[in-house]
Amino acid sequence: MNDIVTDRSIMTALGRQLTAAVAKQSVAASNLANIDTPGYRTREVSFDDALSRELSSAPPLAATQPGHLKGTPAIEDRQVREADGLPTRRDGNNVLLDRELLGMSRASSDFTAAQTALSAKFRLVRYAINEAK
Amino acid sequence: MSNTLHGAINASASALTAERARIEVAVSNLANAESTRGADGKPYRRRDVVLATDGPETFEAMMGRQNAVGVKVADITEDQAPFARRYDPSHPDADAEGFVQMPNVDVPEQMVDMLSASRAYQANLTAISLIRDMISRAMELGK
Repeated sequence: MNDIVTDRSIMTALGRQLTAAVAKQSVAASNLANIDTPGYRTREVSFDDALSRELSSAPPLAATQPGHLKGTPAIEDRQVREADGLPTRRDGNNVLLDRELLGMSRASSDFTAAQTALSAKFRLVRYAINEAK
Repeated sequence: MSNTLHGAINASASALTAERARIEVAVSNLANAESTRGADGKPYRRRDVVLATDGPETFEAMMGRQNAVGVKVADITEDQAPFARRYDPSHPDADAEGFVQMPNVDVPEQMVDMLSASRAYQANLTAISLIRDMISRAMELGK
């Protein structure tokens, strides 16, 4: 019975996807803004890595009773780090225009997907509220 | 949390300003490619825009934070490369040997610089429209 996915946890997950998309968009916008700044290094959000790291390494909370919740990993502390493996230009800058625009499109569609799902959820909630009147 | 879509838009907008400055400087270099007399009486010197990240000063401080990093025009420098000499005895600014000192502006180089600034400007405009779409999407959540 603990495996029932509640509305609340779905909304939290979707909210996190929105936040992650915003973080990615923000970093990509910074990279794009500094495409001609000498010495600037491409930054990226290591959100996906952080998630898998948390899931694989962090021990789950001890559930000694059937009613205990397993808890969700703390993935709020995403790290912004330097992207590696990119060719560096002569001025020390390694921002790739197509890579950043692709990242922005991807973040934007992630955001749209989460927003669509979230508004569908909200519609259900509103429906439940209005029917109870 | 300073990591917002508005921060991202501001970063892109700062890039629009910086790229416009690059285009303006490239255009004035092109316009003065033949100016043999500047304010100081010497030929025009090529100007160059120096861009710098606008935000936390050190790289380490920047890496630890998630907020959008904009760009700014740190300086506009004059190229100290020697002037080109052209043989043109009829020119009013020709010296005793008939040579005129011409500005150290390389026209093709300026064209390339202008194109690259223009492409970067377009890329940042695309970025702004993507972020704006996200903001209006977020607004739809409240409908």
